[in-house]
Amino acid sequence: MSEADKLAIAAHLHVLLRRKTGRVTDTEWMAVNVEYALEIVRFARQRAQEDNVPELAQWAARLDHAMQAASPDAERHPLADVPAQAVRQRIAPPPELPRYVGGIR
Amino acid sequence: MRAFMQWLMAMLSLSLGWCISAMAQTGPQPAQALVTAVATAPTRPALVDHGTVSAADTGWMMTATVLVLLMTLPGIALFYAGMVRRKNVLNTMASVVAIAALVSLLWFAAGYSLAFTPGSAWLGGLDRMGFAGLDFQLAAGKLAVSHVAPHIPESVYAMFQLTFAVITAALLVGALVERMRFSAMLIFIGLWSLLVYAPVAHWVWEPGGWLAQMGALDFAGGSVVHVNAGVAGLVCAWFLGRRTGYGREPFEPYNLGLTMVGAGMLWVGWFGFNAGSAVAADGRAGLAMAVTHVAAAAGALSWMLGEWVVRGRPSLLGLCSGLVAGLVAITPAAGFVTLHSAVVIGLVAGLACYWGATGLKRLLRVDDSLDVFGVHGIGGIVGSLLTGVLASETVGGVRGSLLTQAMGVGAVMAYSLIATAALLWILHLAMDLRVDAQSEQTGLDIAQHSERLGG
Repeated sequence: MSEADKLAIAAHLHVLLRRKTGRVTDTEWMAVNVEYALEIVRFARQRAQEDNVPELAQWAARLDHAMQAASPDAERHPLADVPAQAVRQRIAPPPELPRYVGGIR
Repeated sequence: MRAFMQWLMAMLSLSLGWCISAMAQTGPQPAQALVTAVATAPTRPALVDHGTVSAADTGWMMTATVLVLLMTLPGIALFYAGMVRRKNVLNTMASVVAIAALVSLLWFAAGYSLAFTPGSAWLGGLDRMGFAGLDFQLAAGKLAVSHVAPHIPESVYAMFQLTFAVITAALLVGALVERMRFSAMLIFIGLWSLLVYAPVAHWVWEPGGWLAQMGALDFAGGSVVHVNAGVAGLVCAWFLGRRTGYGREPFEPYNLGLTMVGAGMLWVGWFGFNAGSAVAADGRAGLAMAVTHVAAAAGALSWMLGEWVVRGRPSLLGLCSGLVAGLVAITPAAGFVTLHSAVVIGLVAGLACYWGATGLKRLLRVDDSLDVFGVHGIGGIVGSLLTGVLASETVGGVRGSLLTQAMGVGAVMAYSLIATAALLWILHLAMDLRVDAQSEQTGLDIAQHSERLGG
């Protein structure tokens, strides 16, 4: 997953957390630091359950998946999975930045 | 240090003034050669008998002038104010109103003379400096006319062109909103209007201007107004830097309903802009009006469809932006193309500007807040180039050339980029261009004007 895609997911989660829980996060740090990102994922999942906000859990899962894919352990998988993964990523639409982040249009 | 900077600014202003006089007084007088074909036509602003002007043309041009001024006040003010955050709405509106007043005075003080009187190929003369000219002598039955528009009073022509100078300067507001100091903005816009807009208008629209001599086609300002403002806006946005939180936080627009009202006024006012540029109440003006409308409609629909496909939903802001994109692109072509060509120009411009305001914007990584370059810059470039391809000799009496158009647009882009950057660099030595972080956080309505939006 590209850096831009990770940043887009982080930005979306940042906006959701601020709106739904009041928690302010650092978007750019979330997209590059696995430890910080996983802590935000844990917090988002917790609040998703407590406050019954499924959207939060959904975006936390996306960030979790993105960061797991980026970690060195995740790089080691069977060779046959590589093209399949590439095809899956091509079929899936790229995550869109939340409205009005980085541009009005 | 501050005293030294003020002294430096004064010296620079004097030097610029001297350079302008020198440029204006040197060089050949090519306008005369161009107009000799009509033996009786004036080659420079002159006094003529009342009877030589056309009442119909004069009436239409006064109407067109009002329409174009309505595009700025309140068109642009509403269009932009609806897109900024609530805490910056009044600052955005105040900027547009102040620019309209400032540029109006500067126009009659110097801008009109530098743009629309004969001088060199680079700059007009000084005949109409300092509120001079535009004479009307009731008893003698005489009035002044411009050599560019000999069938209407010079007062009407100068006012019509004033509204273009005003709207071009006002367009820049979209690139610098929410972070530029009001005082710095006024000084910058005032100087930009004289040092960038007036020379470019002379190059393209005064018969002796070098781009006019070269045969570059720009019916109503595709390069003079839109490419010029788009590039200058991009330079401003780059020079000022991004707004705090840009790219991380959503900047929710205050009220897109206001933006739609502004866009509607732009659409209607553009009939004065384009059909008025025929400088006559004739068939060419009528066709210019029709192609303007068709291109706006095509631009709105193509942006809407593009957004629908890419993002899954058509938005009101997309429709408003698309119609403006179509209007911008038809501007240089309005008096040269047929209805069919207008549809093509509108469709291409809608998609090109959608890319300009989204994909290109991400590539450039510049916080051009309200997409002045993405819409006006890209739309102006597309329209100017397509004019070279689609211009009909039957309609405009001339054939287009893609190469000439590209050279014209390139020259305007280069001059606008360099002159705007130089101006901002000099200004930033003398004053802070940007508000401090606390003021930006509070909002410019309170920080710059001590006013708050009601409700």
